[in-house]
Amino acid sequence: MFSSTHMTFIDGHAASVIVPRKSTVTSQPKVPITPPEKWVELYSDYLYGFAMSRLRDPEASADCVQDTFLAGIKALNRFDGSRDIKFWLRGIMRNKIVDQIRKTVKENKVDIDSEDETLLESFWFRFSGIATTNPEPWQFNPRKQYDNTEFWVVFRECIDSVKNPARQAFVLRVLEDMTTEEVCKIMDITPNYLWVLLHRARQQLKELLEEKWTGPDVM
Amino acid sequence: MLTCKQVSKVLQNEDYENLSPLRRFLLMFHIKLCAVCGKFNRQVIDSQDMCCNFKRQEESLLEKEPPMDADRKDALKKLLSEQSGDSTLHRS
Ligand SMILES: [Zn+2]
Repeated sequence: MFSSTHMTFIDGHAASVIVPRKSTVTSQPKVPITPPEKWVELYSDYLYGFAMSRLRDPEASADCVQDTFLAGIKALNRFDGSRDIKFWLRGIMRNKIVDQIRKTVKENKVDIDSEDETLLESFWFRFSGIATTNPEPWQFNPRKQYDNTEFWVVFRECIDSVKNPARQAFVLRVLEDMTTEEVCKIMDITPNYLWVLLHRARQQLKELLEEKWTGPDVM
Repeated sequence: MLTCKQVSKVLQNEDYENLSPLRRFLLMFHIKLCAVCGKFNRQVIDSQDMCCNFKRQEESLLEKEPPMDADRKDALKKLLSEQSGDSTLHRS
């Protein structure tokens, strides 16, 4: 049964060919399912590390791992074997992390402080969408460190030190790649305030990196 | 010609790298010439670039994270074998 037209690449050239829908599905490589009894042994540290990198809270992170495994068992019959179950579980965990942040934000309502309010009412923000025309230049060139693993270890530590709620906004918008709209909904804030939080996160990250990075290229 | 506010708005909602070549050109053209938002928005783009590179490294950095508490793991193992008992029996 020829049911659909797909774009396929033959020797690097795109060609429109008719492919039976059924055969494209069955030709997908299947990854064997690891039984749930082995999940803790195989994936708990990986998932816990991932949750810690987002939540920075050991208790909440362990809860997230537990919730992920339980949700995984329930949804196991929907696992299609197209990718490693580790990454499938990580996909489930992403939702659990968002739930956790939503819960934390609900308990500690994100309130705009007077400094942020001043920034939003400032001339430069209202007319140009910026905080200042003359931001402090970087004390070193981070681009030169991109190939240096040590730099990213320090970068990761610096993200941990960014203060909430700027950090939460950064995790959702930047690390989890959510849209402005989605983040505003989760954190119950306006897009303008999200802009302030992301600006604060960037500012803090820069200051922390300048303080903590002592590797090469520091002027 | 884009206004400063439009440039800032685009960068709030999208990573510079993900924009179409035309939009990237228009944005960079503005940023390079603008004495008002140029320096600020250049730093925004640099920060986006740095975070994007960090995300590419993240998977390997996870290995350096501390492991989950051993007692918590044992409790979780127990819970999972209880929960998965039925579903695994019915599989295969
Ligand atoms: Zn401008």
